[in-house]
Parts: sequence; structure tokens; C-alpha cells
Amino acid sequence: MLSLTWLRGLAARRRGRLAAAACGVAIAVALLASIGAFLSASKATMTARAAADVAVDWQVQTQTGADAGAVLDAVEHAPGVTIAAPVGFAATTGLQTTVNGSTQSTGPGVVVGLPPGYRSAFPGELRDLAGSGTGVLLAQQTAANLHAAPGDTVTVGRAGLDPVALRVDGVVDLPQADSLFQTVGAPVGAQPQAPPDNVLLVPGDQWHQLFDPLAQTRPELVHTQIHARLTHHLPTDPSAAYAEVSGRARNLEVRLAGTGLVGDNLAATLGAARSDALYAQILFLFLGLPGAVLAGLLTAAVAGAGAERRRKEQALLRARGATNRQLVRLGMIEAAAVGIAGAAAGLGLALALGRAAFGTFGFGATPVAAIGWAAGSAAAGLVIAAATIAIPAWRDARRVTVAAGRRPIGRAGTPRWARYGLDLVLLGAGGLVFWLTGRGGYKLVLAPEGVPTISVSYWAFAGPALLWTGAGLFVWRIADLVLGRGRPLIGRLIRPVSGRLSGTVAASMSRQRRLLARALVLVALTVAFAASTAVFDATYQQQAQVDARLTNGADVTVTESPGSTIGAAGATELSHIPGVKSVEPIQHRFAYVGADLQDLYGVRPGTITDATKLQDAYFQGGTARQLMATLASAPDSVLVSAETAKDFRLNPGDQVMLRLQDGRTKQLTNVAFHYAGIAKEFPTAPHDSFLIANADSVTKMTGSDAVGAFLIDTGGNSPAAVAGRVRAAVGAQAQVTDLTTSRRVVGSSLTAVDLAGLTRVELGFALVLAAASTGLVLALGLAERRRSFAIISALGAKARQLGGFVWAEALFVTIGGLAAGAGGGWALSHMLVKVLTGVFDPPPASLAIPWSYLAIVGAVAVAAVSAAAGGAIRATQRPVVAVVRDL
Amino acid sequence: MTRAVGPDVLVRCDGVARTFGAGLGAVVALHDISCAIHAGQHLAITGPSGSGKSTLLHLLAGLDEPTAGVVTWPALGAKGDLRPGPVGVVFQGPSLLPPLDVTENVALALLLGGASEADADAAAAAALTRLHLSALATKLPEELSGGQAQRVAVARVLAGRPRLILADEPTGQLDHAAAAVIVDALVETASHLGAALVVTTHDPLVAARLTTRWTMADGALVEADLPIEGNPSCSA
Repeated sequence: MLSLTWLRGLAARRRGRLAAAACGVAIAVALLASIGAFLSASKATMTARAAADVAVDWQVQTQTGADAGAVLDAVEHAPGVTIAAPVGFAATTGLQTTVNGSTQSTGPGVVVGLPPGYRSAFPGELRDLAGSGTGVLLAQQTAANLHAAPGDTVTVGRAGLDPVALRVDGVVDLPQADSLFQTVGAPVGAQPQAPPDNVLLVPGDQWHQLFDPLAQTRPELVHTQIHARLTHHLPTDPSAAYAEVSGRARNLEVRLAGTGLVGDNLAATLGAARSDALYAQILFLFLGLPGAVLAGLLTAAVAGAGAERRRKEQALLRARGATNRQLVRLGMIEAAAVGIAGAAAGLGLALALGRAAFGTFGFGATPVAAIGWAAGSAAAGLVIAAATIAIPAWRDARRVTVAAGRRPIGRAGTPRWARYGLDLVLLGAGGLVFWLTGRGGYKLVLAPEGVPTISVSYWAFAGPALLWTGAGLFVWRIADLVLGRGRPLIGRLIRPVSGRLSGTVAASMSRQRRLLARALVLVALTVAFAASTAVFDATYQQQAQVDARLTNGADVTVTESPGSTIGAAGATELSHIPGVKSVEPIQHRFAYVGADLQDLYGVRPGTITDATKLQDAYFQGGTARQLMATLASAPDSVLVSAETAKDFRLNPGDQVMLRLQDGRTKQLTNVAFHYAGIAKEFPTAPHDSFLIANADSVTKMTGSDAVGAFLIDTGGNSPAAVAGRVRAAVGAQAQVTDLTTSRRVVGSSLTAVDLAGLTRVELGFALVLAAASTGLVLALGLAERRRSFAIISALGAKARQLGGFVWAEALFVTIGGLAAGAGGGWALSHMLVKVLTGVFDPPPASLAIPWSYLAIVGAVAVAAVSAAAGGAIRATQRPVVAVVRDL
Repeated sequence: MTRAVGPDVLVRCDGVARTFGAGLGAVVALHDISCAIHAGQHLAITGPSGSGKSTLLHLLAGLDEPTAGVVTWPALGAKGDLRPGPVGVVFQGPSLLPPLDVTENVALALLLGGASEADADAAAAAALTRLHLSALATKLPEELSGGQAQRVAVARVLAGRPRLILADEPTGQLDHAAAAVIVDALVETASHLGAALVVTTHDPLVAARLTTRWTMADGALVEADLPIEGNPSCSA
């Protein structure tokens, strides 16, 4: 009965306080549930995207002596297989062409036999570049090596047999050459470092005519693979999908009984997606949990603002005979009311946000996940309510006497944690853990290929968590110190707003330093959270852009067809197209470094940055500017990959002899370069080994200025629109790609974890938390002291003098909180980017600072404080007696 | 009823009424009050709870607005100049600011009036000394008893050197012994300053310490300017 009466009383008289506390709980619940929706949606996206990116799901290699027909039959009947086709692989001793009287030869290569219908069954395996898409097809690099084009004749060498001549029908790109030419069944370390340089593709019937005789004499040079496509109706969780697909593959291998080995490309891709899924989970921990904890702290601050009143009420109840048990029960009832209302509101908000940000109506991709996230988030809300309302009530009921319950201020002593320096210990421990985990390169997710279990280094979370906690306590210590021992200083600082009352206001602030320090810490943590999340997001977006720019080369890139002889002068024609700001030609050749064939890019070091951006992180041995200057001043300089520098033990200035094709004789010729530094990444270059040299030098030494691609800077115009105009101008003779499209299709762990929705939610919540932690907490604190302000007003204070009390506190909390939050945000941003380096590809050279968002956070905080302070001052304009009567 | 007009009239009410709320739920706290407070007068306003004593005192202090009639302060100035200044108020409940110590609480009214910190501190110290409260100078309000807190509130009034002291049930939450100390302090302060003193109370012992008594019932003055027996200095 007492409980019901109490609850009714709270609902009638303390609606504002209950609603504010419920808002805090709702924010925490909504944040957790929203992140659950993000995780669920992103995991489902990852599985779908990963599966869609695989050209051939399974490559089943028939073993020597096995009946390929029987293996094909077994694969066709394996569960989940929708299409299966036999593909022949034969080794050739070399390919040769004679073009315009010049004969070109290559080393050993591979001839692939494709059955009819292969291209429609596995459309991602080949991409047409020139000529017909059917018949005899040359891989792009091979065509470049042979200087061959559709219509030319290529002679195919066969070990121990006569060579055969075939007419080339087309040139194709093999986007997934690495998996196509994998050694099926070999462990990761035993896989070839690169796909074969020389590849010819012929129709299956023709392949059999050419290589069935070779299979009789040299069976080790010929083998057949069964390429299979599986149904992609897979579990939404990448880990579950991986387990299912790899289980099917093992089941097939068992049924093949040694006659075939399964190259499970789909499982390998899903395996990588598992890492992405775990990274998504990690992002949840790093970006989501602090927000939820902050919402909890906010609820605690809201509940704390009413603690004095609650203690007085408890003292009154106790004076009238209420037992401790009854007092605790009343606290629990208040906590339950706040928790249930907050959880319900939070779940509703999360549903709306999920719909807006992620396009999902539920909290999970499956009913179990949805129930789990909803129940978990609601439970977290109830825990927050219990921890912030019921437990303090229980503690007060047990420890606080009637007299002490009436004491609102108390002589503020040093808390035990501060006496023992817990904040400094936590900061030190955080730094130590950060350093220790950083030594290993922050490999948070370990997902070994072929191993069903994956692991996460949760230890790395300890660093930021300890720093966050330690920084919060340290800020509390500093604020307490400034307000306590720095009272004269505070008095001087607030004189502009408090005038002659500054000493009195400083004394008032000093005695309420725990309350003010708590508010300041909350503001600081909120700002740090908002800043670090925003910086992380901006850096992530920046690197996604860098990744896309690396892949595409520039805003728009025009890639010439193999064999094209268009020179640098072609840039002039492109520069006249509307929307084109500048055009930069970049040469693309192939060069032998020892026996290794590598891509060589000839650049104009003085103007390359007119059309694309070069980051220092792309290079080693100097900054981008320094190394481009070296290429300009010493034209025979060359930048090589780290692997090449290591393999050949290169030191700056060492001579590097490259074999390049001479444009006039079409023969390979030795050209001497000098090693100048390492290029780890370069626009349009592949991720493996490549070379960067001065274009003028390459032209001079090879007698050809043929350009591989033109990089176009659109100067802020839409890359897609400019690309359309360029495409219309150059026609089919070149491939035109743009940055916007590349960003959508670049496949990496970075883009697989689509942060856009998460960050929208995170940044939105950070703004709400910033407003709440500044305005709401201040407003509630001021509201709880209405009586004090009424007394000051009754003593005759003018509005300006009352404002001196209110504004001094508001400014101290806001300016101190913003300053401490900016510092904390800076440190946390660096730590987050360092610890989460795995989600960045390439790693960022510097952090991106979203000034506009940070300015909005500051403006929201200032606006919220102004509203709260203004409201408090306006409230004192009521007749004093009316205010005093209400209390 | 008093209809006095002269240079010694500090406050005057003409046909004053005060109603809280509106419509059917409206509560008439005062109706048709006309009276005046003279300089140096020591007045007790008595009456049962709910008779309108505190409401009248708040109107006299300029803390509240009448819903009908006029309150003026002929010898004190405009309403906006009353506090801090010629009017000092002692409230029924705790009226000290919790985060300020005793000296700071006493000095606050002076600072609000534009005094320098040094002057305010000196006046506060003198007021505390006069009321024998120096030992409490650095205490916080939460460390004081109810009686001590009210004496500090009186010291705050004393420091402001007002011409009219209004005390709203200043002993309402105190026992008789503590109440006597508070009334002594008020009377001594008023006498020391030559100020008029108006105390609302339902305690006859408190009323007996003052020279004049008004009695209120149901929002009206039913007896006014009654000299209190035993007090030779009563005046109308």
C-alpha cells in the first residue's frame, strides 16, 4: 500500500525527475539496441557481399588417374551445388607471336580450356578488354608481353609435341587470377606468389584436341578442375556461413575418396568476412559501449541531482517510523518505474533509428538475434536504473542517519580512490597495456585460413578502457583541486560574470565542488566520446576515399587498351572535356626484375600530384614529395616494392637492372636504374610488387611514350558525371572508371564493415548525450537549488546578480568540460585509430578532423547550457514567495 | 483600523486583498486589509494558522503582489529599492544558503546591495559579534542547530541595517527557550537600529515581547493597535 502511494506521489509530484532519469535509460537502451541492429544488418550484408564477390565457389581438382567424369558427377550431386563445369589446365612451354615482322616469345605459361557456357555460368572470372569474348583469348598481361592484339596469331608450345598456331579472338582480364591459378589443396604458405604471367584461354573442345595427346605423354602437365557454383542461401552470420560451406566441401572430399581436392574459394572469402564481422563486433565494443556507459553515467547524474531530496524524504520517512526495508523497497519501485519506462522508450527509439539508418525493422537478422538484442538492451537499461537509483537508495537507507540525511553539502573530503591515486594508476596501466599490445601490431582479429575458429584479442580493449576511466577520474581530481585550492583563482576568473559577488560565488562553487566536478567530468567524457567517434569516422571515410583513389588512380581514370600507342599528348584532347580540371598521363609497362615480371609505372614527378594525391604512407625512405623530387632530379631513379628491396638486398643508390620491351624493336632490353626508395602503394598499381620510374626516362630508354592510363582531376565536379562525358568522347578504345563507382566496388575489410549507418547513429547519440550532459544535468542541478535561488532573490538580488551564480557554474562546467573533453578526445582518437588499425586500408598517415561536426557538438553544448541557465534565471523571476511555497 | 498618513509611515496597505488560484478552487488569503506600519513600532501579528499572517507579511515586504488594493512604502521608497536596503526579512524555515558559511551568508545581503567585500565582511563580523555568534563564523548552515540558524538570519538582517524588520514565524520550528533567544535578538536588533519590527506568530509568549498586537482571522484584521499588557512603550 505504501509502495503504491509512493509511486502515485512520484508520478504526480516528481514527473520531471523521473522522466529525465528515464531519458538517460532510454538513450542507453536505444544506443545498444541500435548497435545490435547495425551488427545484425552489417553481418548479413557481409555474407551476401562476400558470396557475391566469388567468381567460382569451388575449384575441385581431379587427382592424377582419376576419372574426371566421375568427379564431375559427384560435384554436380553434392548438396548446394547449382552449376558444375569441367575446366582444363595445361602447361605450355611458351607462347610466340610475330607482329609486323617482329617476333615475341614468352616463357612457360598455362593454357586453360573453358567448356561451352562457362562465361555465363561464372561471369566474374573473365572481363573482356578487346576483340570477341569467345574463342581464343589472351590474358591482358600476356597480350602486352607478346604485343598481340585480336586477329594476330599465337603459337603455343607443347612439351614434346609440335607447337600449334591459334588465331587470337580477344583480350581479357582475369580479375580473380590468384584463385583461378591456385594450387588446390596446398596450404597458404605454399601457394604461388603470383598467377602465371602467360595465360591463353581456349574453348574446351579445342583444348582437348591440343592437350589430350600431351596428357598421354606428360600427364603431370595436364589436369582438370571442376568449377562449381553453390546456392548462396547461406546463414546471415559470416561465421555460420563459413562453417556451413566448408562443411559441405569436406563432405564432398570424403565422398570423392581421394579422387579430387576441393579449392573452397567461397569458404576462403567467407573466412575473411568472419574477420570483418568480428571487426564490426569490435567497433561495437569500442564505439558503442562507451556511449552506453555515458548514458548510464548521465542517468546516474540525473538521479544524483535528486539524491539530496531523496535523502531528505528518506529522513522524513524514517523519522516517521519507516524501516530500512521499506525505504529500499521504495527505491526499487522508483528504479523499476524509471527502468521499464526508459527501456520501452529506448526500444521504440531504436526501432525507428534502425529503420532510418540501417533499413531494418528489427534488432537482429534472425528472430533469436532480435530477441537477444532487445532483451539484452532492455536488461542493460534496468541494470542502469537499479545501479543509479535503487542502489544509492539502499546505501543511504543503510548508512545515512536522519541528521546526516538533512545535510546537503558536507565538508568535501578527498575520496579514497583519489587518496590512493587510482586515476594515475589507471592512466599508467592504460598506457602500459596500449604499449604492450601495440608491440604486436594490433592484430585484434585472428582468423587463420581454413581454421573454423577465430579469435579476438580482447586484451587490446583494456588500453582505451583504462585510459577512458583513468582520464575521467583524473579530470575529476583536477576540477576538485581547482575548485578547492584554486578558489581565489576561480574568484578572479568569474569576476566578469559575478562582479562583486565573485568571492561569494567562488565560495559556493568550492563547497559544491563534488557536484560541479561530476558535471564537468560528464561533459568531458561526452565530448571525448563525440570527438573520438567523429574523428574515427572521418578518418575511416578518408581512408575509404584513399583506398578507392588508390584503386582507381584519380577522380576519373582512362585506361588504354593493351597495345595502345597513344602518347602523353593524348592528355590535351581529354583536358578539353567539360569538368576536367587537369589530366596526367601515367605509363604502364611490364619489366623483369631478375626472373620476376613486375608492373612498371612511368610518372611525371613534377605534375603527378595535379591529378591524384600521394600520401607519405605510400612510401618508405622519404616523403612523397622528397621521393618525387628524387625521381625528377635523378631520372634514372626507381622506386621498388619492399619485397623487392628485401629480396635483392638493395641500398639507396644501388643499380637495379630492369628488362624492358623496346618500343621500336619490340625486344626486351636491359635498362639500368638506381634504387631510390620503396613504394608500398601507388594509384592504379596492384597490391603486390611494382616499380615507379620517371616517365621521361622510360620514354628515352624504350623509345616509346605510350601511356597506360590518364588520371583526371575533376576539380570538385562529380566524377561519375565527368566519367560519362569522357566515356562518350573516347568510345570503346579505352576503359573509363570513376572514383565514386570504385568506392562502391572496392572489396576490402574496410568497405565490408559499412560504418555509415553506425556512425550516423553514434554521432547522433553523441549530440544527444552532449546536450543532455550539459543542459539537462545543469538544469536539474539548478532546479534542485531553486530554494537557494529563491532565498537570494528574497534578499534582494537582481536578475544580473542571480545570473552571476548560475553563469559562473555553467561556464566552469562547460568550458572545463569542453577543454578536458577535447584533450581526452584527441588522445582517445589516436588510440582508437592505432588499436583499430586493422579496419583501415591503407593505414592513415594522419587523422581526419571533422571540424564542422565538432563545432556542432560545441554549439549544442553551449546552447544546452544557455537554455538551462536561462531557464533557471527565468524561474527566479516568479514571485519569490510562490517559489518558496512550492518547495 | 489605522488610517495614519505621515512621515513616520513605513508601509501602508489600502484595501489590499490576495487570492491564490482562480475559479472554484480559488483561495482568498486576505481581503480588504487597510493598515500602516510606523517607524519604531514593534508589532506582533497573531492569529491561527491559515489566517493570512504570512501572506500579509510577504505583501508588506514586497515579496508578493496583492490581487486587489495597493501597498506603498511612503518612507522607504519604491518597491524595487526595499531589499537589500530598508527592509530586512527573517523567514520561517531555513533561509541560509547551504554552500556558504555563516559569515558569507551574513555578508551576502550587503554584497547584493553593492558593498565591497571588505565592508561586507566587516559588517558581517560586527553583526555576528553583537549577537554573540562569532564562534559560528566559519560553520556551514548544516552544522548549525535550528535556533543558531535563525540567529544567524537575524544577524544577516542586522548587518543590513534596515528600517523595517519583518519576521515570518521566526520561532515556529523552535522550542520555547530557543524562541526566546530569537525574539530577544530581534527586539535588540530593532532597538539597536531604531527600526520597526513586525513579527507574525501564533505563540502568545512571543507576541507578549512586542508592544503592539494585531490579530487576524480568516484573512482579515479583526483587532488592531492593541497595546500588549505589561509593555509600557505601546503606541497606536
